[in-house]
Amino acid sequence: MANLSVNLCGVTLKNPVIAASGTFGFGREFDELYDIGRLGGVSTKGLTMEPRLGNPVPRIAESRGVILNAVGLQNPGVEHFIKYDFDWLKAKGTAVVANVAGKTLEDYAAICARLDGLADIIELNISCPNVRSGGMAFGIRPESVKEVTKTAKTALKKTPLMVKLSPNVESIAANARAAEEGGADCVSLVNTFTGMTIDIERRRPVLANNTGGVSGAGIKPIAVRMVYEAANAVKIPVVGMGGITCAEDAVEFLMAGAVAVQVGTANFTDPFACPKIIDGLNDWCDRHGIKNVSELTGTVKLNG
Amino acid sequence: MREYTAKIVENIPIAENIHSLTFELPEEPEVRAGQFAELSVGGSHLLRRPLAVCRAEGKKITVCFQIKGEGTKLLALKKAGETLNVLMPLGNGFFVAENEKKVALVGGGVGIFPMISVLREYAEKKELSAYIGFRNRGAVCGMEDLKRADRLLAVTDDGSFGEKMNAVQAFVRDLGAGYRPDVVLSCGPLPMLRALKEALDGKNIPCFVSLEERMGCGIGACLVCVCNLTNGEHARVCKDGPVFDIRNVIL
Repeated sequence: MANLSVNLCGVTLKNPVIAASGTFGFGREFDELYDIGRLGGVSTKGLTMEPRLGNPVPRIAESRGVILNAVGLQNPGVEHFIKYDFDWLKAKGTAVVANVAGKTLEDYAAICARLDGLADIIELNISCPNVRSGGMAFGIRPESVKEVTKTAKTALKKTPLMVKLSPNVESIAANARAAEEGGADCVSLVNTFTGMTIDIERRRPVLANNTGGVSGAGIKPIAVRMVYEAANAVKIPVVGMGGITCAEDAVEFLMAGAVAVQVGTANFTDPFACPKIIDGLNDWCDRHGIKNVSELTGTVKLNG
Repeated sequence: MREYTAKIVENIPIAENIHSLTFELPEEPEVRAGQFAELSVGGSHLLRRPLAVCRAEGKKITVCFQIKGEGTKLLALKKAGETLNVLMPLGNGFFVAENEKKVALVGGGVGIFPMISVLREYAEKKELSAYIGFRNRGAVCGMEDLKRADRLLAVTDDGSFGEKMNAVQAFVRDLGAGYRPDVVLSCGPLPMLRALKEALDGKNIPCFVSLEERMGCGIGACLVCVCNLTNGEHARVCKDGPVFDIRNVIL
């Protein structure tokens, strides 16, 4: 039995596997299949101050090796989450990563202040590509990444801040540094890549929103490269994600520089993906004589 | 809801572009009429395919599907003896109350398969009238099960099998002749459901419809497959549905 626990900016996760935001709700549905207390953490459905209905359907499409989604941040609002879901999720014994989004700096400040001291980590969604008036603007340029990070950090007195970086940018390293300069305690990446897929019979995009976020196994090599670049650009911990389907994928991200990983789309393909990855990580470590999974972080050596 | 490794017993075409896939589970599931299963396609397909349970006989489950895209094409190629990853039973399903004796079923296209599941569950217990619409003679299937209805009207859009009309028209004609069911259950293309809603407007006959939507997780977590409710809220087709009171959904 390897020691799978990791320290993520002062928060101890029992293992490095966090269910990714937007694929896992608040955990209740998956808890009908297995005890979600086994997970290192659960990143909640993206929360906003006010309830949001999201985009029209279809909200999902498939392309070889990937999916596209444009849910548009449907959520019941942060107060509903605190009232009806937070205590339940917290009592499961997994780290509660509250994923938050906003349209303005004031929104970000308000929602961070509301969840401060409740959530174990606040994950700032500055990269959701689906809401026309929302997140994207903050996540693209390093200046605005730094500004929104600083705003959130100022509102947080107790809970550490994770900034989720968009891959649809000029330099992931520059944006990771901008988050660090803004006061982020860690960064997570990558969010989805903006994409489009067309129904050629109807000559229309499959998604009602026309474009959507591309995720799943097919994006993994790009995500690994970006995690590597970000991890080498900052001193704060990096949480890696993008197409992780099995334990070996998770190991790749750890070697690229991630302290922990998030698993998203794989939950749709196999609802037991997260616990299988946790068990698989333990087996992999045992087979390779690794006593602590944290030993793997950043151990990739580039070819001469 | 459980995840199973099922063994494919039979996978055969039953009409033009329609396949019937029967698989055996390691245990007998508790499945109600109108519930569905999510089947892994495999290969480069990351999403499961949600398919209505058509027949449940002990451990053997049959789903029927239209070959529409790459995923269903691959499903149609699966052979007896192969294994299949299945998540089921999912969704709420149809529920017919004790005091509802006369039940009308209105089904069109692939929407006939959830109707077959109702026929199989309630054939002995209720007085069932089935109004079933096919595109044409080549699309006709499931007749053996459909014939369990006390009254069956199978029609086609082009008149190549049965009368030339759609399922709602056949149902409305019977309504006009004095037929009054205690409840109507329906599944089919949206235009059909809209016509049904209009036909029942002001008639005070309860009606429940099974909706179809592109799904992500299939278990209610991802909020991908929502439908609009008349109260302004969204419901999840996979978890809150797929069966809804027709008065509560915007079609």
